Amino acid sequence: MKALLKKELRLCLHPTAPMMILLSALTLIPNYPYGVAYFYLTLSVFFICLTGRENHDIVFSLTLPIGKRDVVRGRFALVMLLEVCQLVCMVGFILLHRALSPLPNAAGMDANLALIAEGFLYYSVFHLIFFPTYYKNVSKVGTAFVLSSAVIFLLVVADVVSTYAIPFFRDVLDTPDPDHMGAKLGFLAASFCVYLISAFVSLRLSQKRFQRLDIR
Amino acid sequence: MDVLSVEKLVKQYPAFRLNEVSFSLPEGQITGFIGRNGAGKTTTLHSILGLLAPDSGEIRFWGKRLSDDGYKAKQRVGFVSSGMSYYSKSRLRTITGVTRAFFPAWDDALYRTYLNLFSLDESKTPEALSNGMKIKYMLALALSHNADLLILDEPTSGLDPVSREELLEIFLDLKERGKTILFSTHVTSDLDKTADHILYISGGSLLADRPAEAFLEDYRLIRFSPQDLDAEQHRRILGARRDKHGSTGLIRTEDAKCFAQQAEKPDLEQIMVHLEKGAEA
Repeated sequence: MKALLKKELRLCLHPTAPMMILLSALTLIPNYPYGVAYFYLTLSVFFICLTGRENHDIVFSLTLPIGKRDVVRGRFALVMLLEVCQLVCMVGFILLHRALSPLPNAAGMDANLALIAEGFLYYSVFHLIFFPTYYKNVSKVGTAFVLSSAVIFLLVVADVVSTYAIPFFRDVLDTPDPDHMGAKLGFLAASFCVYLISAFVSLRLSQKRFQRLDIR
Repeated sequence: MDVLSVEKLVKQYPAFRLNEVSFSLPEGQITGFIGRNGAGKTTTLHSILGLLAPDSGEIRFWGKRLSDDGYKAKQRVGFVSSGMSYYSKSRLRTITGVTRAFFPAWDDALYRTYLNLFSLDESKTPEALSNGMKIKYMLALALSHNADLLILDEPTSGLDPVSREELLEIFLDLKERGKTILFSTHVTSDLDKTADHILYISGGSLLADRPAEAFLEDYRLIRFSPQDLDAEQHRRILGARRDKHGSTGLIRTEDAKCFAQQAEKPDLEQIMVHLEKGAEA
């Protein structure tokens, strides 16, 4: 796994990925749908897969002493590493947001702990749609991205709507920290579990599909 | 033990079928894999490497299926393809650093030796290299992890005659050092100089799996005018082609006595072209 991750970081990581992670700074903007920051990371995953295709990354990988399942595992490791980096970065910007402007967000979830939990949910949905579609046909990386982006867009809309329409979101989660910390921590734990399960299911499904795929 | 054995490999496409291809590679030989474009050479090689998922058949490296031993056998395999350029904007140094991490048997001193031998500059990127230099870089990578089997897909395609000659000499040196080489090409003159064994594939079927000398001895070439031959002689011609001096026909060596014309020993290209012409007719 160490060698696989090294390959992903040295040869596959797209230069936009660190920039997209830094777009966690969007949480400093007042009244902004902060879920969009998670979308930007999925955009850099798309770039990674797209440039991988142009660089014959998969063919190169399969000349190494690894199998197709390992190729998928390596890509998942990279993406999950980027996601964790973004969440860590997000925590920093949320703290900065609180220090600079503790006003509530009128365009969706506040910059608070629940926003981190939502990040796990955004990633979960992205994993389940993007990777199995991508590994069904790695030449059509655009298809996987358009599908996942459409759903992420709906999620951003649902996020904004839920902070007005669903009492639990409006009154408990969409509140400044440290209000309702117990509920928010529970939401975070549940989201993290969903994240792990979705990563596992998506990995297995992607490996199965990729195993059957002809690389040309 | 055979270095590589392929048994009844089948890959079906809508307009093409790789038809139960079977062969094995003995150790320390250069095996030429010939056939026209679209004959099934790359389909076979890519199935061997796991890029394609065959419909049926078995591929074993040193007697073991790749998936059974956790792909360890690939530690001893190097793949070089002229049509592939990996990570065109990354420096060779970076690509090497990554590759090295996958191979416990990596020999850095050997790698440096090949860099010097091939005049490769590690600070360059693949896009800054000529085709010949790209091939040499891939060879350097393969040899530095002590690959015992080299699978070469059209390695001399697009190279100038001097670079080709240089590479062929390298292949011969490698053979002398006990390496096994599977060399796919349609530039058959390269194999006239290097191959010990020939695999000839046409239309997805393996038509010949013979030592190179024996394969060449199997056929003779005659020059003829169509009106000079009787029906029986026409039947014995496996394939004919025309040039500015008339027609040439490929016949089996044992049929040479049936012809009054002087029979010559053909080279690989002549055999392949005549057999393909015969198949088309």
